Amino acid sequence: MTSTNQSRRRPFLRRAVLGGLMTALPMLLVCIAIIATGEQWMVRLAYAGVVAVVVVVGLQIQMGNSGGVSFSHTVFVAIGAYAVAILSVPVQMKKLIIPNAPFGLADLSLSPAAAVLVALLIVAVLAVITGLVIVRVSGIAADILTLCLQIIAHSVFMYWTSLFRGSQAFFGIPQFMTLPAALAVAMAVIIGARIFRDSPWGVQLRASSENLLAARCFAVNVTRLRLLAWILSALACSIGGMIFAFYIGTINAQSFYFPYVFLTVAMLILGGMNSVSGAVVGVLIISIGIELIRNLENGPVLFGIELPTLYGLSGLALGAVIILGMVLRPAGIMGTREFDDILFPRRPETE
Amino acid sequence: MDFVLQQILNALAFGSEYALLALGLAIVFSIMGLVNFAHGEIITIGAYTMYIMIVMGLGSPLLVIPLAVLAAVLGALAFERVAFRPVRYAPTSTGMLTAFGVSILVQNAFLLFISARPRAVSVLGGLNVTVWVGPLRLQLLQILELGVSLVVTLGLILFLTRSTLGLAMRAAARDFAMVRLVGIRANRVIATAFGISGLLAGIAAVFIVARRGSIEPDMGFMPVLKAFVACVIGGFGSLPGAAVGGLLLGFIEVGILVLLPQQWGGLTDAIVFALIALILVTRPQGLMGRNVELGDKER
Repeated sequence: MTSTNQSRRRPFLRRAVLGGLMTALPMLLVCIAIIATGEQWMVRLAYAGVVAVVVVVGLQIQMGNSGGVSFSHTVFVAIGAYAVAILSVPVQMKKLIIPNAPFGLADLSLSPAAAVLVALLIVAVLAVITGLVIVRVSGIAADILTLCLQIIAHSVFMYWTSLFRGSQAFFGIPQFMTLPAALAVAMAVIIGARIFRDSPWGVQLRASSENLLAARCFAVNVTRLRLLAWILSALACSIGGMIFAFYIGTINAQSFYFPYVFLTVAMLILGGMNSVSGAVVGVLIISIGIELIRNLENGPVLFGIELPTLYGLSGLALGAVIILGMVLRPAGIMGTREFDDILFPRRPETE
Repeated sequence: MDFVLQQILNALAFGSEYALLALGLAIVFSIMGLVNFAHGEIITIGAYTMYIMIVMGLGSPLLVIPLAVLAAVLGALAFERVAFRPVRYAPTSTGMLTAFGVSILVQNAFLLFISARPRAVSVLGGLNVTVWVGPLRLQLLQILELGVSLVVTLGLILFLTRSTLGLAMRAAARDFAMVRLVGIRANRVIATAFGISGLLAGIAAVFIVARRGSIEPDMGFMPVLKAFVACVIGGFGSLPGAAVGGLLLGFIEVGILVLLPQQWGGLTDAIVFALIALILVTRPQGLMGRNVELGDKER
């Protein structure tokens, strides 16, 4: 790249970082309000929401830039969670839960920081291997390929009981994460996603998903960029899994399977898959909405009348919100815009 | 030898069920580019119709079966009118999410108004009998499934090749704008596509309920996932591809179940889907898909 390019690189970086902070703002405000109330159960719900932000923003890196739908992002959430779990559980506890772990893992226990680094390395290696296969195909075949990956990974989690405990919960993970720490992680992931989206690579990749032929004519190396987005997305999603494991302390492969896949995909598409702000908005709307309706499900007392329990109501409402959202705003709530695009519109020549 | 023949029939029966569902998915996709994940809920609607009729005391199979199929057709038409018509010109991901929305909505409606637990539907249990054809021990259900699928597929071929609307549908799969220019209503073509997919799913629902003997809100998910995969193996949007893909998937599944050592049983799904991934990587357009030039048709 030439020196003129070097000087043009700064504005996008500054905009991405500042815009990223603005993108994170609604999440921050909601969480600060919840911390201020001091209600422990609300903090726990907010934490689940922050994990969802990390996962959905991770998904956005893949879907928003490469185009197409991915059903396999929660595989990396699960791998991240299981990797830090297997590496960081104390040895005495391992004798109880995975006594026959292969590769001598039963006698190994790392500090959480070391576990995170090794886990990120494992995720990166797996992402490169799967990515090399998946970037070869595009369109609907690629969507199905991610679906295959999800099912294969889940079968392995279920079958390899000596390492993952199959359908039983994996417990005993050190619980040291707090909501403020998770917020910091989520902000870093959001800013990272914004930097990638606004970088020349992100712009080229988004252009290629709109018109593959035109992008190739401009010598865009689509395969390599797709691979990059796939790996970054996998890393971000795995970070979501790690902060989840270090807070809850107990993980189960079942909880990363299709219901979670559909929930996170729905959050992203409802918010608008082409913008990072859309990912945050989608998580906020669906998380808060489901929580409000879940209260109705348990049969609360309203105005002195005890309502009956209505299991399934939150799902019913989720379905209705998705259909209405898609009918009224097919490109998602945010479309292709970020929050900062609404407040400070970009000059036409830079877009 | 008997064992082999029985397994082949087994594979054909499973395969024809997948083919019925895959044809329904493919006919909708070929015309409007919608990946209809709510297809499974059409099965569920048919199945719950049977349950509701039995609860109401109308438990005769002669009454239950046609009404279940009719309910599936009406359900599919209602999905199209309410949810999919407004997003007809939106991007693929919008249509796909709308379908998720429909699927979540319908599943939870059954969960809310009927029950989250499986409910027994034993009215079709009579089909699960064994018949002897010479030295062969066969399940009546499997023979019926194969026979009905064959008849329905032949009917579909006749409809698509001999009737005006059928010709219009095949033409719409190639170039919808052209079909509308010659004066055929888009709404009618698309509604027919959904009606046919509902009919096929309703017939599949009868066999699925007969085999399971029970119903539950998320019973449509696995069959449609398989049908979806069958479509992709065959080439998404190609009708012969969907049929062939369904049968092939039946053979792959039964083959792996039979050949895989017992202690690896838990890995059946992993191996099936790894094979499918292999097919997709080597032939992304599917076995019978048209190889589209990387030109104006590429998204």
